[in-house]
Amino acid sequence: MNRFLLKCFSLTLFFLIWVLLLPPRDASAVIDGISGNTFNLVAKEGHISTPDGGSVLLWGYAIGNGRVQYPGPTMIINEGDTITVTLRNELMQPVSILFPGQEDVQADGGIEGLITREALPTDDPGTPQDESTVTYTFTATHPGTYMYHSATFPELQVEMGLVGAIIVRPAGFNPNAPRAYNHPGTSYDREYLFLLTEMDPRIHETVEKFGVDALQGTDYLSNYFPNYWFINGRCAPDTMAQAFAPWLPTQPYNCLPRMHPGEKLLMRVIGGGRDLHPYHHHGNNSYIIARNGRMLESSPGMGPNLGMSVFTIKTIPGETVDAIFEWTGKDLGWDIYGTGPGFEHDCVDGNNDGFDDNTHEYCADHGKPLPVILPENQVLSFGDFYSGSPYLGKKGVLPPGAGTLNVYGGFFYMWHSHNEREMTNYDIFPGGMMTMLIIEAPGVPIP
Amino acid sequence: MTKGENMKRRFSFRFILYLALLPGFLFSFCPNASAIVYNLQAGIKTITMPDGASITMWGFGPVGGEITIPGPVLRVPSNDSTLTINLTNNLPEAVSIIIPGQVATLSPVRFTDSKGRQRVRSFTHETPPGGTASYTWNNIKEGTYIYQSGTHMAVQVQMGLYGSVVKDYAQNEAYPGINYDKEVLLVFSEIDPELHAAVANGTFGTPLYPSTIDYLPKYFLINGVPYPDATIPADNILGTNDTILLRLINAGLKTHVPTIPERYFEVISEDGNPYPYGRTKYTVMLPAGKTKDAVVTLPSAKRYPLFDRRFYLTTNEVSPGGMLMYIDTVEPCIGDLNNDKDVDAFDLVIFISEYGRTDCSQANPCVADLNSDGRVDFVDLLILAANFGRTNCP
Repeated sequence: MNRFLLKCFSLTLFFLIWVLLLPPRDASAVIDGISGNTFNLVAKEGHISTPDGGSVLLWGYAIGNGRVQYPGPTMIINEGDTITVTLRNELMQPVSILFPGQEDVQADGGIEGLITREALPTDDPGTPQDESTVTYTFTATHPGTYMYHSATFPELQVEMGLVGAIIVRPAGFNPNAPRAYNHPGTSYDREYLFLLTEMDPRIHETVEKFGVDALQGTDYLSNYFPNYWFINGRCAPDTMAQAFAPWLPTQPYNCLPRMHPGEKLLMRVIGGGRDLHPYHHHGNNSYIIARNGRMLESSPGMGPNLGMSVFTIKTIPGETVDAIFEWTGKDLGWDIYGTGPGFEHDCVDGNNDGFDDNTHEYCADHGKPLPVILPENQVLSFGDFYSGSPYLGKKGVLPPGAGTLNVYGGFFYMWHSHNEREMTNYDIFPGGMMTMLIIEAPGVPIP
Repeated sequence: MTKGENMKRRFSFRFILYLALLPGFLFSFCPNASAIVYNLQAGIKTITMPDGASITMWGFGPVGGEITIPGPVLRVPSNDSTLTINLTNNLPEAVSIIIPGQVATLSPVRFTDSKGRQRVRSFTHETPPGGTASYTWNNIKEGTYIYQSGTHMAVQVQMGLYGSVVKDYAQNEAYPGINYDKEVLLVFSEIDPELHAAVANGTFGTPLYPSTIDYLPKYFLINGVPYPDATIPADNILGTNDTILLRLINAGLKTHVPTIPERYFEVISEDGNPYPYGRTKYTVMLPAGKTKDAVVTLPSAKRYPLFDRRFYLTTNEVSPGGMLMYIDTVEPCIGDLNNDKDVDAFDLVIFISEYGRTDCSQANPCVADLNSDGRVDFVDLLILAANFGRTNCP
């Protein structure tokens, strides 16, 4: 009896520890941001880092008294909620927030601007108290992917960093069965944000050294020539570093999409800057389900039946795109889990969908060998993402000195701007608007 | 007024209406309806930018009239199938006119380059300097189009030789089933002042300004002018209940993304071809040479900013400027009974003539029944009084 209790206790303890070690299952946790109905943003100055060692002057939005960040905090809100965003201005020129795609935004306080109401500089002794703050109120009437940015000299201020993302969850959002919109055709397993922006460092250097007025002696704003390209505020390879990395204090967000075979990955792509970016995702086509926060549907309730399959997402300044990306390994023509001794496994298709019910292996290719003979390690050079094995979830022997960033034996696919100049950091390749998608073997924890 | 008299009045009105429509009715049986003819000139025009810069433009205008940038809107009536442009050329070099998207028989003009190759200089027959020529499109179809020079286009189009051609499917019906009340036509373009100076002083094509590949525009224009000059014409008053057709045209060389960030619209066509399904957006990507049409209602009586989301919002490097404008909307007037865009004594006279009627119906309507309750009474008078004195009704 005692032994039985002990056994029970240790089993329970083991189970508890196992549960604690499990990654969180909430798919919505993948996109970092702030939730709620009320947001206090402060426009202030700082610097960002670029992987080439550069430090670029930033004007950005901060969460309250927190540090300025690029991009501004991602606001994750719910359809139907009334949202209040208060903006205080700690910059030395007027600033504002525009919410493209949100109709009937009420702006109070500050002064009237050309496009919306603007907050005057707090630190200017001439600014009356009530004119250094603007309160924007709107009702999030539709789910979807949106952005916000300054509408005060946006040709300068968005360039300087005053831009961020908004995600509106559909009414009745269930984090365990998430949907992008109110239709099952927009279901997904994981979601990732791709806020695409660029910077022309000449503008930032001129503003930092000589002040804003010095721009009038240049043609930088009309003859725009960016040299840094960002996903969620970081240039590659920083895009792949952890979120909230302490060495990137003003660039909290990363972009490292990871998924298991057979899952649906929702890409929320935002054209935040001035230029178009052909965002090219290797691995498979994606299916565009919405633009500008509106499902591509022929009539209400139909779901995204006007969507299209693409391998490059046309990202247009001011627009947003939602696309569903799937990867199964179907039709590769070889067994992704390996063949021969040491790779024994079954392909069990109980539900007749053509795939193994657990590993999502494409059963028609089960047992088909890799159609090449792998060369000896001595004749290979090794990239950072090769695990030593061509098979999913497997690792092989690497020569001494060859490390790998591929800890789980995943498949890496480059996702990048197909305007290849945008894959550099001030002329140094690789960098810029680029990251990797990792297909991880089933069971590999993905946060 | 007795019912009989009223009937008689309406009968006579109908009779006149039928009489007026008869020629059109008979005409619709003719296979080739009618042909509209525009007599245009191409000439030099100097324009002044808000910063005081003087720019030499080449543009189109009516013969005997003023050259404008962009050229005049060429409207083709719905029942016309043929458009003819008689062009008089007052420029120092040969020009022509093409309309991308409209079928025409073109006669390209070639020249022999320095390597002995035959190369196209003009997509169609030219109008020599000081001469005239005629350009005809026999099956002109509905939609929004650009007309522009088809000769030495890398220079001539940029110099200002562009305008819009518009044809509706029917009265206030842009394409089959796409109805609208008001139209807003916006032509986006740019100016590189150095290119214009080089053309004006003959240095274009020399090492000083070798070609349009060096194009670096500094002025960003909507309907030929930058902010704050780009406006909706004063006589085009837009009501909060109006369905507005936005005709968006890019005659420049850069991609622009016009946006009304506060309002979604339905993009319904591209290059004059309607989409099978509209696209609900608040932005329109407009590459060089593109036309798109969108339908929008602007339900609040206020100014809606419209600007280029690519942020070409400077004028010779100075902010604010460039491609920013406003679309103002006003509440519709109730009580403008004679549709003269004012609510005034004339409307009151009509109101009084119907005052006291209680027999209003669809078959027997009363214009003065402002609240549509079947009677013209004190309540209607109160509504009229609330609107009385309004002018510039949408």
